[in-house]
Amino acid sequence: MRTLTARRVVAICALLSTILFVAVVISLRLGSYPIAVRDIVMTLFNKAIGRGDEIPSEFSVVIFGLRLPRIALGILVGASLSTAGAGFQALLRNPLADPYVLGVSSGAALGAILSVIWAPQVTGAIQIAAFIGAAVAIAAVYFLGRRGGQLDSATLLLAGIISASFLSAIIMFIMTTLSGRDVRGMAFWLMGDLSTPPPTTHVKEWLGFLFAIFLVAAGAMYTTSSDLNLILTGEQEARHLGVNLRRVKLVVYVSASVLTGLAVSVSGAIGYVGLLVPHVMRMLFGTDYRLLIPTSAIGGAIALVIADLLARTLVAPTELPVGAMTAIAGAPVFIYLIRRRVR
Amino acid sequence: MSAAARSGASVAHHLVGAGQSERTRLKVEQATYAYSATDRSAPEFTLGPVSFEARQSELVTILGPNASGKSTLLRLLAGMFKALSGRIEVDGLEIGDLDLLRRAQKIAFVQQESELLFPLRVWEYVLQGRYPYGRRLRFESEEDSLLAGNALSQVGADSFRERWMNELSGGEKQRVILARALAQQPSLLLLDEPTQHLDIGGKVELLRRLRKLADGNSYSVIVVTHELNLAAEFSDRVVLLHKGKSLRVGTPAQVYDRALLEETFAAPLEVEMRPSGRPRVILSSEH
Amino acid sequence: MPAIRQARLLAVLLLPCFVPTGIGAAAGPDASTAKMQSSSPDSSSRVVVDEMGRIVTVPKDLRRIVSLAPSVTEMIYALNLDDRLAGDTDYCDVPPAAKLKPHVGSFLNPSLESIIALHPDVVIAVAYSGNREETADALQKLGVAVYVINPQTVPRILDSMSGIAKLAGDDKRGAEVVSALKSRLDVLQKRLADLPLVHVLFVVQLEPLITAGQHTFIADALRWAGAESIVVSKVDWPKLSMEEVVRLQPDYIVVAPGPMTDSVSTVTDLRKRVVWRDLLAVQAGHVAIVSEEIDRPAPGLIDAIEQLAHEIHPTAFSMNAGEDQYPRLRLGSLSEKCNSARWQACAH
Repeated sequence: MRTLTARRVVAICALLSTILFVAVVISLRLGSYPIAVRDIVMTLFNKAIGRGDEIPSEFSVVIFGLRLPRIALGILVGASLSTAGAGFQALLRNPLADPYVLGVSSGAALGAILSVIWAPQVTGAIQIAAFIGAAVAIAAVYFLGRRGGQLDSATLLLAGIISASFLSAIIMFIMTTLSGRDVRGMAFWLMGDLSTPPPTTHVKEWLGFLFAIFLVAAGAMYTTSSDLNLILTGEQEARHLGVNLRRVKLVVYVSASVLTGLAVSVSGAIGYVGLLVPHVMRMLFGTDYRLLIPTSAIGGAIALVIADLLARTLVAPTELPVGAMTAIAGAPVFIYLIRRRVR
Repeated sequence: MSAAARSGASVAHHLVGAGQSERTRLKVEQATYAYSATDRSAPEFTLGPVSFEARQSELVTILGPNASGKSTLLRLLAGMFKALSGRIEVDGLEIGDLDLLRRAQKIAFVQQESELLFPLRVWEYVLQGRYPYGRRLRFESEEDSLLAGNALSQVGADSFRERWMNELSGGEKQRVILARALAQQPSLLLLDEPTQHLDIGGKVELLRRLRKLADGNSYSVIVVTHELNLAAEFSDRVVLLHKGKSLRVGTPAQVYDRALLEETFAAPLEVEMRPSGRPRVILSSEH
Repeated sequence: MPAIRQARLLAVLLLPCFVPTGIGAAAGPDASTAKMQSSSPDSSSRVVVDEMGRIVTVPKDLRRIVSLAPSVTEMIYALNLDDRLAGDTDYCDVPPAAKLKPHVGSFLNPSLESIIALHPDVVIAVAYSGNREETADALQKLGVAVYVINPQTVPRILDSMSGIAKLAGDDKRGAEVVSALKSRLDVLQKRLADLPLVHVLFVVQLEPLITAGQHTFIADALRWAGAESIVVSKVDWPKLSMEEVVRLQPDYIVVAPGPMTDSVSTVTDLRKRVVWRDLLAVQAGHVAIVSEEIDRPAPGLIDAIEQLAHEIHPTAFSMNAGEDQYPRLRLGSLSEKCNSARWQACAH
């Protein structure tokens, strides 16, 4: 019997991280603005040793102002969505669950659109409003989704679907009666878009802050991975084995929702990643959540970095929304997965 | 309790063998329960008071017709509900005082399996039985693997270690579920109508296995059933329930009184004593 | 497993996420990017204020312009500054020569990298129903000079053109072009001075029916043509119910050809449609098809205004037949696009 050991988890994560690193390097190299690898390396090197002033300004702008933040966001969002997806699939006991099924993204979208109406000039308002919208949706669905004082998967799913459609309807309503302000920007956001540069000049701090949130939420979910393994064989069975169902469900619910809210407030609703990456990782590495959570995170990062790379280089200079890219790539993968299950 | 202390406890547990004097695993004293106490929409149904004991290596049957309160009693023993009055003790400890993990170390509950969402191998499933021992985020130790393997052997499922759970037959799956419960190294093994979907051969095989397990180990096995003859043949003790009332507790010979059984099961029955000392119940020829 | 091992495990697992972002976090616009746009003006640069109040610093010798909207491209060509146009959007096709310029992507989501790759001295964008504010903000943060115009009315289109000419240091030429256009408008205004405004329904899209709100440049253009939209709405592109149209009974229906109105190329098409055929305007044949130039807040709009004026106020123009440069619009025919030869004619 080869049991899962910490060493195995680390080894697989190292492998995936290497793949991610390669994807990042390729992503740095390709783009509308031509830069040779040599120049990229030099630019990074100079920056790292503190000689930032010696870098040609355009290189600096493209690499540090455009590509790296975009790649970093891709990693953050991809990792967040996939981890959230894995968590929701366990919590809702449903392999079709994706991070948006509980209405978190609709709440975020509503927050975003309200901020576009009321505070269009304030930088960063969209992100904050989106996160607040997500938080409200999370809380509302939590209270609706309880049964007997505890989150019940079927009730939660229903509550989530209802709130998602309700919120979407409100968004539709607002968008049609809007006085012509930048709703087109909303359309991009709703489709999922990594191309909007950070809303602040303190990019370093902003990214650091977002990553901190990711680590806390993903870490919290990770502490329940043994519990989730048991819950997947049946809730009653898990309870008899000593799992504190109530606490575990709450932790998973909150952490997965926070991860989703984080991703959506930064980049809109990018689809398929949260649904498919956990399944692919399961197929490759098994269903044990002690391995699945970290592999989903890194796998999601890889998927989104590549999707975003394709989105901005495939039909350059036109940029496709990254959500369209994940849908185009995701659909065939989904079909393949479904067919494999019919064994 | 720290991981070290917990795993230490489990090893000590292992050492207590049949050589020890008869140890009481379960003690139920005047336990009662009523659904309507916690859920006002539930039908009026009161269980108890029930009193009985189960010693190590004993197989105790909770017997009765449908809706007699058997499953409710079993769930009380599992700690799923808190008794309204009375005491239920496992290894001398009141169940209600035990925290979730401690309770899972003492009591293993075997029930009909829920649908597995994602494919899982047999050994992974059984290994989960070790969850109550150790910290929250843990990777299983050598000892855990050993104990899980041991559990599989005890149910004769060694050969299916590498197979997928959803490829097993009903009987095979039941054995694996049982193995997981054994991996918990419990003091009490509880089974809720385990013979429900089995044919007569399967029923006998299961009860034989449970008997062997009880004999060869130091835990008590408590089985809920309405199968009169299987209970008679394999149990050390029977608790007869009817409409929530505990009618009689004792050996099969003591409990299987014709008039009592006929009234309880509302069927014309005859009771025969066999040379082994165990009774046999048959349908009466007179109506 | 002891807590410290757990913590280490967690850290190791999630560390990979940190590494690339460690690099990314070291990023951020700083002194070096500011070099692309010097904040303090010197003798070689010029400081102007754009139509949104932003302060824009451009080199005195402005050589490279990137346009982010078809209307801007059209203006640049009209001002004869097209030799300085370094790039435009995929959709800039008026005049056709604009299609040959390097492209930077779409109007709503241009590729920032492509823009930077063209080394622009200034990027010109359109506000409100034009480019996204995020695009302009992003470019500014990256150190690119962005000049935003806001041609919400017809006179402001002319102002924008003057502004662009001044930006490029070509004030004189700009003034010539703009005054020629202005005089056409003045002539038109004189002719239409005493005439009542014709009530029109301007159709942006046929199904569902969408018209132009009062704050759009189209609404202003209508007024210059001696017309007035029957719909008064603060929403820029309001959806209208047919009932309202029937109630208001416009004198004229004005349609611009395009993908959203493609099926209507003649008044007979409208006569075939239910409800439309019962409108007084349709029955009287009062359907004006104007050139698609009406869709852009650019010089070509003035052509469209003149066309429309001719159509709905025939009496104002029949008096001086000799002066009439533009043939009366035949009902049911589409006008020609302004070709490059005609641009010269337009400029005079």
